[in-house]
This record gives sequence, C-alpha cells and structure tokens, in this order.
Amino acid sequence: MTLRERLKTGVACLAPAALGLSAVLWLGAGTALAQSTPNASDFLNAATDSANWILPAKSYSGNHYTNATAVGPGNVGNLHLAWTFHPSDTGPMEVSPIIYNGTMYVTTAHDHLYALDSVTGKLKWSFTDNPHVISFSANRGIGLVDGNVYLGTLDGHLIAFNAETGQKVWDKVTVEDTANAFYTMAPVPWFNPSNGQAELLLGVSNGDWGGRGNLAAYNPTDGSVIWKWYTVPGPGQPGNDSWSGDSWKRGGASAWTGVTIDPATQTLYTNLGNPGPDFLATVRQGDNLYSDSIVALDISGAQPKLKWYYQFIPHDTHDWDPVMQPILFTGKVDNQDRQLIASGDKAGSVWILDAQTGKLLSHTPVSFQFNQDTQPSLAGNYACPNTLGGVEYEGGSFDPATNTLFVPSQNECGFWTATKDVVYIAGQFYLGGGFPKLVGPDTGQMNAIDVGSGVFNWRHHFNLPNYGGALTTASGLVFSGNLGGAENAFDAKTGNILWSYDTGAFITAPTEAYVANGKEYIVVASGPAGNASIPELPQSGSASGPAPVISVFTLGQ
Amino acid sequence: MRLSQIKLSRPARRIGPAVFLLLGACLGLAAFPRGTLAASTGDHLSMVAALSDLQAAIAEILHANNSYVTDRNYYHRASQRAINALEGVNGPEYRAAAGTPGDAEGVLGHLDALLHRKGTPVWAAPLDGAEANVRGAVAHLLDANKARELMEYALATSRALAYLEVARGRPDEVGVFGGLEGALANTVLGVPEGATVVDGCSDPAHAPSYGVHGGYIAWVAVPASVGVHALAESPGENSLKVVNGVIVLPTAAAALVAADCRKHAEATPAAAPVKTAAKAADPTGASGSVPALYTKAQAAAGAQVFANNCVACHGTNLQGTAAPSVAGMDFLTSAHKNGWTVEALQYLVLNDMPFNAPHSLSPKAYASVIAFLLASNCYPAGNTPFPTADQPAFAHIDIGPVPGRHPGVNNFGVCPVG
Repeated sequence: MTLRERLKTGVACLAPAALGLSAVLWLGAGTALAQSTPNASDFLNAATDSANWILPAKSYSGNHYTNATAVGPGNVGNLHLAWTFHPSDTGPMEVSPIIYNGTMYVTTAHDHLYALDSVTGKLKWSFTDNPHVISFSANRGIGLVDGNVYLGTLDGHLIAFNAETGQKVWDKVTVEDTANAFYTMAPVPWFNPSNGQAELLLGVSNGDWGGRGNLAAYNPTDGSVIWKWYTVPGPGQPGNDSWSGDSWKRGGASAWTGVTIDPATQTLYTNLGNPGPDFLATVRQGDNLYSDSIVALDISGAQPKLKWYYQFIPHDTHDWDPVMQPILFTGKVDNQDRQLIASGDKAGSVWILDAQTGKLLSHTPVSFQFNQDTQPSLAGNYACPNTLGGVEYEGGSFDPATNTLFVPSQNECGFWTATKDVVYIAGQFYLGGGFPKLVGPDTGQMNAIDVGSGVFNWRHHFNLPNYGGALTTASGLVFSGNLGGAENAFDAKTGNILWSYDTGAFITAPTEAYVANGKEYIVVASGPAGNASIPELPQSGSASGPAPVISVFTLGQ
Repeated sequence: MRLSQIKLSRPARRIGPAVFLLLGACLGLAAFPRGTLAASTGDHLSMVAALSDLQAAIAEILHANNSYVTDRNYYHRASQRAINALEGVNGPEYRAAAGTPGDAEGVLGHLDALLHRKGTPVWAAPLDGAEANVRGAVAHLLDANKARELMEYALATSRALAYLEVARGRPDEVGVFGGLEGALANTVLGVPEGATVVDGCSDPAHAPSYGVHGGYIAWVAVPASVGVHALAESPGENSLKVVNGVIVLPTAAAALVAADCRKHAEATPAAAPVKTAAKAADPTGASGSVPALYTKAQAAAGAQVFANNCVACHGTNLQGTAAPSVAGMDFLTSAHKNGWTVEALQYLVLNDMPFNAPHSLSPKAYASVIAFLLASNCYPAGNTPFPTADQPAFAHIDIGPVPGRHPGVNNFGVCPVG
C-alpha cells in the first residue's frame, strides 16, 4: 500500500464516527463527503491548489503564496469589491478564512463562526458563542476535516460542527485549567502518515496568565488527546535547569500562533511564546527554555521528539515572543538551493535558519530596536518595540521568483514597568509589571528581504503600523493590509503600491486568495483595532469603532 | 483555589493515612478489656483540649485557603499557626512569632500526656492514630511554609487537611478511624468528671448517665423531659430509644459492647459499623454582608474615567470588545469562581490598566473608576469614597454576585450608574 492509499484508508475509517450522520448517507455518499471537507491528499497538495485555501497559511509550509495568476501587476488596478459580509460581533478581526469547495468559514473575536458562500458572501449557517473572555478576545480561524468544522474557543472548548449544516457534533473542554488557558489559534488538521490517523494540532494561549504552554494533537472524532507536548521542560528533562527554582511551573512559552509541517520528514516547526511572568524576570533566572524559541519536533512517533531548537531571545523580559508562523521554503543562498525556515518576533527581528539543523543563516532587524537588554524597572524605562510592535502573528510569505521574504512590521516604543513581586491570581494576568505604555509615533513597514543576503530589496514605510499578513501571488504581487484600513497590492519586484482599497475598518488579519467559478478572489477581514489600538487611529479609542467586515475583491464583471 | 475542590477531587489522599493504621485498629478491638475502666482525673478535659487545638489548626488552614490575600506571608503565617496549634510550645517546629490559635500543650502535647501511662486503654488506638496523622500533617504544613505559589500552598495544606481529618476522626466509628472525635464519643475519655457512670451492659435507671463497659461508652442517657441537654460530644448513632422514662442514645460502640455483654468476647473486628458519610463541605466563603465601599458621586466621576480610558476594549455596556467583560453576570461568576477579591480587582486596575498605558491615571481617577466598577456590579454605595491605596480588609471582600434585587439592571446583569 502506498502512503497515499494508507492515508485515504485512514479517512474512510474515521469518517462515519466523525460525521455522526446516518449510515445511509455514509454508504451512499462517499463523494459528497469528499466535497464537504478536504482529505489527506488535499492537505498534502494544498500549496498548489489555487481554488481553495484549506490551512491557515495556505499550506503546511506556512507560506501565504498562491499559484493563481489571474490577478497580476497589469490588471490589479481593476480589482473591485465583489461582496462584503458583516459579522454580528465586536472586537478585532484576526481570522485566516478557510475556503473549500464554494464555502468560506470565518470567525470573529468572540468565537462567532460563519459559513459563507465564497462567490456571493451569502450566509449558509452560523454559530454564535458568548464565551467568558479571560483577557484578549480573538479567534484566528477553524480547522476543516472529517466532515466537520473545528473551533477552539476563548473558554477552552474544542467544538466540532457538521461542515454542511453547522450542527454541533461534539463540544469538549480540552484545556487543563479554564482559569488561565484558552484558544485563539485555528486547529490544524494533520494525517499521521504512519497510521492514517487524523489529528487536530492545537496549542493553548496561557502564557501571560501563569500557565505552562503545551501543544497537543486531538482526535477529531471525540477530542481525546493523542499526544501532548509541554513547551517548558519539567524536572529531569533537558532544559528544566534553564529555570530557577520551580518557576518553570508558570513559565508560559505558549504555542498559540501556528504550526508549520514538513510532511516529507514529519517535522513540525512552531514558535513558542514569551516566558512568564512577562516583566519580572528575577523570579525566573536562566534562559527559560523553550520560551521565545522555534522548535523542530519529530511527530512521526507516539510522542513528539525535539530535533532542534533555536532560542531567539534567551530570558526575555519584554513579552517579545516570536509569533509569526514559521515559513518553510527552498531559498537560494550562494546560488544553491537550501531548505530554510524563516520567522519573526515582536522584538522586531526576522530570522532565517537552516531547516534541517536550526543553524542561523541571517538575522534582519525590521523594526526600531532600543534598550532591549535592560529589564523593566520599578520606576520604569523605555524600550522598543512595544509589546505589540515588531513582527506580529499575521505572517509573511516567500516568493521563489525573486528569492524574497515579505514580512509586515511595526515601529512602536513603550515605557515598561515591573512590580516588586508577582502573585498568581487565577484568571488574571501573571505579568510582574504592566504592559508597556505607548510612547512616540507608531509606524510600520512592508519589508522585502533578500534571502541570500538578509538585506532589504525594498521597504515601504507607512505612517501607521502594518500588521496585515503578506500574500504573494505567482503573478508577482504582494498583498497586505495596513492597520489604517487600506488593503494594498505591491509590485513584488519594486515595492510600488499598484492598488489600494480602504476597507473602512482596521486591518490586523492576513490576506488570502482563492478561485471560484473561474474568477480569482482576494479576501481580507477588518474591524476594530483591539489591542493594536494606538492614539493615531481615528475611532481607535471609541467603544463602537468600525464594525467588523469581510471584504472580498475580484476583477471586472 | 477553593480548598474543598482540591480535597474532594483527591479522595485517595484521604485513604493514605487511614489505611496505614488499619492494623492497629484491629489489634485494639481484638483485646476487649474487662470492667468499666473509668478514665483518670483530668483525662476528659485534656482530650477536649486536644480536639479543640486540632479544630483550631483546621480552621486556621481553611481560613487562609478561603481568603484571597495576595501576600505570601499571610499564608505562611497561617500554616505556621496551624503547626503551633498541633505541636504546642514544646514542639520542634513551634515558632512563637506566628502566635497560636491553640493552647500551650498543643494537640501532640495533650496526646503524649494521655498516652504516657502503663497499659493500653481502649482509646489508645484512636489516639495513636491521631498522633501519627497529626505528625503527617505537620510535615505537609512545613511544605506549605516553603510554598512560593498559591497552588503549591493549597496542595500542601490540602494534604495536611486530609491527615487532620483522619486525626479528628468520626464520632460514628470506633478504633483509629474514630480519631479524637470517635474517642470522645465512644470511650471513657468522653465521660466528664463527676458524671454518673453505670455498667453499659444494663439499661439506664436514671438520667443523665453514661453506660460504660470495657472502656467503651455503650450509651448516653438523657432525661425524657423538655429541655436542652449538654453532651460532651454527640453520640455517633442516630437511633434512640426510650427506656425507663429516659432517652437512651446508643453510641457507635453499642454493638461492640452488647456483643461482649453476651459473652461473645471474640467479637469480630468488623463489628463496628463503618459509615463513610463525608463531612459537610467547607463553608463557601461567599460574602454574607456586602460592604459599601464608595460614594455615588465617586462612581459617577468614575463613569467618565471609564468612558475616556476603558471603553475601547471593555465596551460601553462593560461586556468587553477586545477585552473581557468587567461587570455583570459573566464577570461576577468568573470572579467568584476564580476567587477574586476587592484587593485583586484594585491590584489589577492599578498595575495593568489601561492596557496600553498602565499607571497613567491619577490615583483619584483609579479610585473612581473602581467605584464605577463596583457600582456597575451592583455593590452598594456608602458615605466613604473608595480609597486610593490598598486596605487589608479588601483581601477579605469577595467579588461575586451581590445578593438581592437590583432595580434597573440590564440584561447583562449590569447595574445603572448615576
């Protein structure tokens, strides 16, 4: 049996239980099942399927890149609004829509979930949750597999919905402590090649609340744990001695952003968040592994094995976690093809490493960096970027045609304070200080970094932060939304802005592309600025702010 | 973390100390002594004092675990005070500085004095068991003294409590499981000095009186007249009968005694019924009376501060947009679940808010916005403004749903302000 056959068998075996549908439908509608959600080979081939967008960053490689070429530098000026959808929610829009066979699944800050017709924007079904919010309300999307839609919620539930009807299939609390742990990331479907078992890869957000990070694989049929990997080593494990005393217990390092997988080697790459408490680092002396690190995990066995790690910021004292989903790509260095992995952190650095060994290739500061080695004091001190500056989670893209990495970034500075002591209060921040106060102007860039040299090909400067995750097209465009609300299309070679559209709300979400009915569509979500609020933004300080909106663009009629 | 939750979710811990002593219980019961064997002078009072010290230690731990103080020293002082009550002034771990809720002898002092004698009275088994379990509890309390985090502290003290519960025992059991309460309810240690004692094999002729046989109390007789009758300890059995015009309350040892009276001296060790009914759950710690902590004018001023600084993330109706709700049922239920106090609320607002600019408001503005939050959560207004600084009492004031009806409350459970 070939690998692919084994995978297909795995899908068939799991489908009846997962669907919860009648046996009649199961027996009679093998093809209908294949149409409602992607199968194992769809996931493996996601990168080249320009019609759909079935993983948060398009494919397991983490590269927001589409083969679609209908929209290019010559005609992008003709892009116009195809449809909009207004979700009934407040809060920032950070979603990576999942688009498959004519349906687009989007989520909003308070875990509302909408299934939309991807051509018309017409609502097919919706689910509105009102979970208790611990601190930050955000949801970045869903996982689509086994006939179901999977949603991780702000109160620590993992919920399965029938992808076609929206009917709830099961609902389970999968975090260990609902007082300090919740979900914001999209569950990522993965089929274990060794046994065909479908898995949902999902990490918790608990790093700023006194939790201990973990990444787990859940069984899509019932939410049971297949494996769980703790990001902070416990006693007796290598790396535990990088934490003084028992500080590892509330060490944070949450896996909250995204997972990148190399199916060929069954290696999972992910970035782990900041150590806790965020700002009072005297209580956790040492390097604090594997906080602020990229880790490469061998996920071929029953339990993940750490292959290598690279710690970007040992002993972080400023909540500068590397939150950009790693991009796995083949880049050219010294005219040779190299398997590389790129990432960015909130301290304002872009890192390129060898994907096999984790050895650093280049390190490019993209944001203004100041006073980074001084830890926050009782009286307070300045450092840049701010906690929400640098490179954020929305992600970048790699363009093989120009050997260029495109990454959005922010210039923000902060005034940081620490407290004398830090106390764990269930359900509240575990910081040992305050999140920094914004100082000075808040600006941003779109960066084009040459992979061979780590030097900029071009930079575009904005007078506002630039969060919107970058999408590169095979036709030579880079799309990215500016916090101010403008969705922009850059010429990948020159950095010139060829098209811009004001969505009327603030953009902190990545841009995606898909093809339906023979037309290429560009989609981006926008809404209130949420934690990205800055004094420069109109309405940023008001309660209402701009309403959340999904904007979809296409060419001509 | 509520202590009761930890205890209830880990029943196995309760079994640990108890099983350890099961053998002793069987031996104690197998050798059934002869005669009434009254307790020596002072033993009863000493025993009551031991139980009182034990209860004081338990109360000390429960109180600390049910409070929401954020000062580590507060908890360490509580576990040390519990140790002091257990060990007494002569104990190796006694630390005078913390003070003691018990007496100078402490539980162990009293138990040592009671057990330090020739022979092995029937109550030696429960007292030996209690002593071993008290020493186990002290070991865990010493861990609690070293705990750096609340979770660790709660774990260590809940283990200590599991031991102390066994030491305290149950009046409805004899043998080691009876612990101090069982010894008081079922053995001659429970007979106050000067009380009328008759042979437990016979029925009472008058009341009040104690029916004692072989060191066990078989029954306690009280007059069948209207009135309150003080008993040293409640008898373990619930059934009662009226004999010769007096009410007879059989103890948990009644069956044991009856068997011996029928010359079945080789009574099976399992003769005593073992009831496993758990103790009543700990008090919830929910706020009884809700204090008035702010003035109306202050809350109205706070509404303006909130509108200028907080509304972007927490919303006009306080239900949260990017940030959580800060008033109403969702907020209050999770606040109660997580054990937040006014102290915690004040700490978080003063140190972490506004999110993008902590410490940026004046002390007066911070106080007034907290007043606004209390008002929005239906806490009553008073004559004294909410202070700018922390107050020790705030550690003991829970945040949670305020009892009673609140006129004008919206559908999120938020009270109108101003």
